[in-house]
Amino acid sequence: MKKYILTRIVKSIFSIFIVVSVVLVMIYTLIPRNKIFDNDPAIKKMKDDALVTYKNGKLDELGYLDYIKKPEMCQVTFGTDGYEACLVNGSEEQKTALAAYESKGYEIMYLPKSNDPYAIHDFSWFELLTHFYGKLFAVDGVNKIQDPDNPDLERKYYWGKHPTNGTPALLCSGCQYKYQLYFDGSFPFIHQNKLRLDFGTSYPINSGIPTMQVIGEGQGSAKKTKQNFETGAVEDSALIQTTCQYKFTTDHIDAKYFNDKYANCLSAHKDPSMINTSYIIGIISLLLAYVVALPAGISMAQHKDGIIDKIGIAYINMLIAIPSLAFIFFMRSIGTNFGLPDKFPQLGFGDLRSYIMPTLILALLSTPGLMMWLRRYMIDQSNSDYVKFARAKGLSQKEIFNRHILKNAIIPIVNGIPGSIILCISGALITESAFAVPGMGKMLPDALRQKNNTMVITLVFIFTTLSIFSVLAGDLLMTVVDPRISLTAKGGE
Amino acid sequence: MSEKNIILSVKDLVVKFKVRDRVLTAIRNISMDFEEGKVVAIVGESGSGKSVFTKTFTGMLDLNGEITNGSIMFEGQDLAKMTKDSDWEKIRGKKIATVFQDPMTSLNPVKTIGDQIAEVIIKHQGKSKAEAKEMAIELMGKVGIVNPELRFDEYPFMYSGGMRQRMVIAIALACRPRILICDEPTTALDVTIQAQIIRLIKDLSMEYGFTTIYITHDLGVVANVADVVAVMYAGQIIEYGQVNEIFYDSRHPYTWGLLSSLPQLGEKGEELFAIRGTPPSLFEEIKGDAFAPRNNYALKIDYEQEPPFFKVTDTHYAKTWLLDPRAPKVDPPAAVRELHDRMLVLTAKGGIYGEH
Repeated sequence: MKKYILTRIVKSIFSIFIVVSVVLVMIYTLIPRNKIFDNDPAIKKMKDDALVTYKNGKLDELGYLDYIKKPEMCQVTFGTDGYEACLVNGSEEQKTALAAYESKGYEIMYLPKSNDPYAIHDFSWFELLTHFYGKLFAVDGVNKIQDPDNPDLERKYYWGKHPTNGTPALLCSGCQYKYQLYFDGSFPFIHQNKLRLDFGTSYPINSGIPTMQVIGEGQGSAKKTKQNFETGAVEDSALIQTTCQYKFTTDHIDAKYFNDKYANCLSAHKDPSMINTSYIIGIISLLLAYVVALPAGISMAQHKDGIIDKIGIAYINMLIAIPSLAFIFFMRSIGTNFGLPDKFPQLGFGDLRSYIMPTLILALLSTPGLMMWLRRYMIDQSNSDYVKFARAKGLSQKEIFNRHILKNAIIPIVNGIPGSIILCISGALITESAFAVPGMGKMLPDALRQKNNTMVITLVFIFTTLSIFSVLAGDLLMTVVDPRISLTAKGGE
Repeated sequence: MSEKNIILSVKDLVVKFKVRDRVLTAIRNISMDFEEGKVVAIVGESGSGKSVFTKTFTGMLDLNGEITNGSIMFEGQDLAKMTKDSDWEKIRGKKIATVFQDPMTSLNPVKTIGDQIAEVIIKHQGKSKAEAKEMAIELMGKVGIVNPELRFDEYPFMYSGGMRQRMVIAIALACRPRILICDEPTTALDVTIQAQIIRLIKDLSMEYGFTTIYITHDLGVVANVADVVAVMYAGQIIEYGQVNEIFYDSRHPYTWGLLSSLPQLGEKGEELFAIRGTPPSLFEEIKGDAFAPRNNYALKIDYEQEPPFFKVTDTHYAKTWLLDPRAPKVDPPAAVRELHDRMLVLTAKGGIYGEH
């Protein structure tokens, strides 16, 4: 069993690697790179040298190419000796520097106005991948921060306390993150900053913010709570102290709260993050769907061809036949008749009424499939020999259904449960769009439209990982309900 | 007849099925008494209504089937009139238990063996879980499961076919039923296991004193275990008697045909005997003797009028016009006449049906 799970995990990671790599290479080589600037408002005011420099700088930042400006070329080639001479366009020294870069595979180009040379190296698909995976796993350590202005920075791990709840926490000086390991009441309760996934920064929307932060950070206005700071200050503040990173240039406001230079913290927000919004709606609707569909499917199977069954089949057919888009808008207009908002932001996160219709619609949309399959599986099972024998044993119809048939029929349903739970994170595109819910559902289409490449790759990674591991979780859960299935790498016992 | 202890008495039973808007008469006027403690074998070819007949005792007819006439008296109740499932639950499994053909599929694959046996005990005898477990383990030992305490929590897929059939029998006997119906209990098993299972049912019937009704088309099994044999054809019992009477003094041409078709009696190199033709369609009204069109000894009256039961001895009856005093005297075929000697060889120690 352990060996099987291990090989499955290795295989899963390999699959994720393949999928992400393929998507990455496709996005970086097949989408025209000029397109990524289409949605950037900053670019409109620029022209000539500034424009070229800005574009190349962005492309370098996004990992398309290696962009080297004149001063850097001169610096690398000559150091301090001859650096000044190299900066003069057309000088021998500069020619040497350019030749040196050309021989390394760089292409030499010139700015349109000043005619300053710069070097560009386009990454091949292989280089794209090595760069991406090279920085994907950001491991934090005591030597992470190298700040020339703070040469005396202590480098050590030490035990301290969580700033607000007082539980023990592992702190670090010299790392990027001050709080390396800490506990709190939010899922998954144990948090660490030692190893982080770095997918790069979002662009052009939320430019410069890491994609993971865009997805995971709260939304809406700042939420201030009374906090004690290490300087002794007690103040209403939105800062989340456990997220503080090293800040190279601290100011007097930072000094008010912090004794050290770990002052670059995230803020708490009133509203949940996109991922949480989708998850809250998804999980509740899923629960609702199972609570309604399972008993409905069971009683349909129990009263096959009876009135309950017929009503159920009519319901299933109706929901399957109506296009989901039409159903969503139809339900939405019914909702408005009852005074429920037709757009989520009208009442916002704080109001329960905002959630009712999206959750209800999502739940209803997933009931027909569940009901139909459970009914099907139960009817299949009820024709089997063990049911005949159970009847001959003198068990009542109810006992047979509850104790015998259900246990067999539920197996394929159980297999899908972890998937449904985990994939709630990915949100529901149409429903969330119809209600303008700020969730994950429209994240991927939005990112695609905005040519937000790093975000697309981040989402692909997240969705792939979740899908693959939810299949694994489904299989593991199945071993619990079906004794005949044992997961071994070699095959049966 | 009166001093005999009749446990189940069937009178004029008629069972009809609705099949795609047509009505099929599966059981045509059967009357039969089952004596307590005896082993009764019901034989006949496929489709003769053997299983349907016994299913009426436990109310397990398919939904499209219906008893349209007759009575089945058991412990003063008429089972033919019983419709409510809650009434049947007091009979099924508790008083009349059934063992089905295929042990591989008779047990629920995702419940432990122990659970499946204990649930019957809890249901019918109102025992607690712990008591039921104790009884179940004892019963498992009785049907020949080694280390029953350990195997109690195992699942059916961990058992072999023979073991599963033992378990099925244990479950059927868990509530000490008065009648055990064995619907071809050994068909799906190999020959050596067959013998063990038959032996087991025989021994248990001695110990618990239940009446056994075998449904089978294996006449070898019949010869080995049965006290009384009923031969069925086209929804009727056409001959009925003690096992010896049926095997060595059978009177109905269909019984002769069945006996002659025993593959074990075939001579090497010779073709096996087969009754020509096919059974009549049960959708139509059958005129005269149902077997007449396939009968080599058919008389003119066979096509016109249904024969009554003729008494051969006090325990032996046959439904054929050949027994009418006016009928011509015919001899059974040679194979049947030699059957006695042949069977002696087969059932002797070391023979196919001998004790192992």
